[in-house]
Amino acid sequence: MRRVGIVGAGGISRTHADRWNQMPGVELAGFYDIIEDAAQRAVQRSGGKAFSSMDELFDAVDYVDVCTPGTAHIGPVVAALEAGLPTVCEKPLANSVADCERIVEVAERTGTPLFVAMVVRFFPQFAKAKEVLDSGAIGAPGVIRTVRSGSFPDSGAGWRKGLAITSYYADFAQSGGVLLDLCIHDIDYQRWCFGEIERVFARGMMFAGKEPKDHALLTVRFANGAVGHIEGSWSYPRGRFATRIEIAGSGGLIEWDSRTRPPVEVALEQEDGSLASSGSSPTAPQHDPYYAELAHFVRCVEANEPFLVSPYDGLMAVKISRAAIESLEKGKAVTIR
Amino acid sequence: MSDIRIGMLSFAHMHAVSYLHFLSQMEGVAIAGIYDDDYDRGGRFAAQCKAPYFRRVDGLLDQDLDGVIICSENALHAPLVLESAGRVQGILCEKPIATTLEDGQAMIDRCRETNTKLQIAFPMRFAPPVIELKQQLDMGVLGEIYSVKTTNHGSMPGRWFVDHKLAGGGAVLDHTVHVIDLLRWFWDTEVEEVYAEVGHELLHPGLGIDDVGLLSFRLANGVFGTLDTSWSRPESYPTWGDVKLDVLGENGLISVDAFEQNLQVSSEEDGKTSWVNWGSSGDEGLVADFVDMLRADREPSVSGEDGQRALEVALAAYDSSRRGEPVALPN
Repeated sequence: MRRVGIVGAGGISRTHADRWNQMPGVELAGFYDIIEDAAQRAVQRSGGKAFSSMDELFDAVDYVDVCTPGTAHIGPVVAALEAGLPTVCEKPLANSVADCERIVEVAERTGTPLFVAMVVRFFPQFAKAKEVLDSGAIGAPGVIRTVRSGSFPDSGAGWRKGLAITSYYADFAQSGGVLLDLCIHDIDYQRWCFGEIERVFARGMMFAGKEPKDHALLTVRFANGAVGHIEGSWSYPRGRFATRIEIAGSGGLIEWDSRTRPPVEVALEQEDGSLASSGSSPTAPQHDPYYAELAHFVRCVEANEPFLVSPYDGLMAVKISRAAIESLEKGKAVTIR
Repeated sequence: MSDIRIGMLSFAHMHAVSYLHFLSQMEGVAIAGIYDDDYDRGGRFAAQCKAPYFRRVDGLLDQDLDGVIICSENALHAPLVLESAGRVQGILCEKPIATTLEDGQAMIDRCRETNTKLQIAFPMRFAPPVIELKQQLDMGVLGEIYSVKTTNHGSMPGRWFVDHKLAGGGAVLDHTVHVIDLLRWFWDTEVEEVYAEVGHELLHPGLGIDDVGLLSFRLANGVFGTLDTSWSRPESYPTWGDVKLDVLGENGLISVDAFEQNLQVSSEEDGKTSWVNWGSSGDEGLVADFVDMLRADREPSVSGEDGQRALEVALAAYDSSRRGEPVALPN
């Protein structure tokens, strides 16, 4: 039985804890948070114990899962790596390029496994699109377009209301707005599909003074000459979240849209004569992307194999997101160095 | 009331077939003749609509015409407009207006000097889903407008469209002008700055012209957006391409897919599944508007200047791509 401890009891920690609790051979040891109440609440809903210090948690676990805000990744991640504990780090690897470089340096020096949770690579439709691309079915890379657009993440669920993370997202200087928090998924995915990114040009609302609303449209150029387009938004009307994939190659096209008709639709006539309808697209539990990424982490650590996402990938995603923010500030294309 | 007499100048651009189709269904419109530098092609369409075929433009312009519709290769718009100006009341010229701003300006100037009405063929202004969007925007339902994400994807058209001399450019020129025209029309604004990533032979090795374009622009009204002009729909795709517009504002989002009214048709003969559009064609509204302009002797609803502004943006996109930086538009 492997024991895992979560550092940071905010938003994403609940998602991770649920998956750890489902995973055979893994036990959730508990939580540490600088806000003791937050750790206690997380324990009440997800189990384990509330640790009073990070060291106490490190002493009790085999793996560390860092779910603090991006600005607070470096402390627990570096400490866990130095302690020789295989570590999951929620995305972004860190909010600054300097922090990322330091983390990558520590990971390399200590040789402790560090997995950056770029979960989009584990979404079955995104993984399958990459697999089809790699099979050669659509020829050489040409144009890749992805969308990740919804409303500001403040009240998607009741339990989320009032969490410190909400004001963190709204403070773009902290969270980096959609470019660093949301588009980073697409930057990583597109880079995974088409290879290194050479330059980015961004337009968006990050500096438009409309916080917490944000919206960005990015164009990227890959080293192989191909191009990419990314839309990320916290300005869509509530309930209209959408993700999309479109990959055009020299021999074909791949498309997927989260808003096409779901495989399960429920339409129920209400007593007042109105219609209540809902849709879902269920997958087997092991294909849930959060479960899949954490199971991948355990499998690779146990087999001593490299992760699908390397610390360097995590660094590059932040570097490119930061370059996009710089492009927005300067009104120019920014070359990735 | 006598018939409005229309001459068709060239069927090099396939839109001519659609324009002819809708013209021939209209009351009070006569196809006075067809000119085409391709004898076979011109003769075929002349026979189809029982109109005389002319080997020379001059011969057709002698037929007491009210208007001409020019669907030649892009580079030949200018000579055909210059020759027709002053001999007809109005000209409907396929987009883009020309391949260079000099040609476009010469066409506008000559038409003004000869009191000839010059209309550019932007049929998307007449597509009902787009008109619905325009009405919603005019009502202000979105509140403050933030951004507009657009695509005008297509299949690679081949033929003269990929010959730089005749087309003037590839996917970027072909597919920038429609959407840019719509945005100018929606908000009575201009493109202030454009940045572009242009791809040559990315999707069609050996093509010899650009087949990918991603434009990122800012409009004078403060709205920013992008436009994908790529010829990224393969032969095996169910349709030729798309025109999609996502307009985001403080109150929400309006998404338009102008060609989404389709039957899905699976054909053993075609060996694939196709989307067969049943929506109202913008081409129908376009030619009806042109005929109405001739009949009412009014100003064109889409002018030569509109064509020139859209061309300017496409050419600036190429310029931006060469320079690797955003380009400011002159207006």
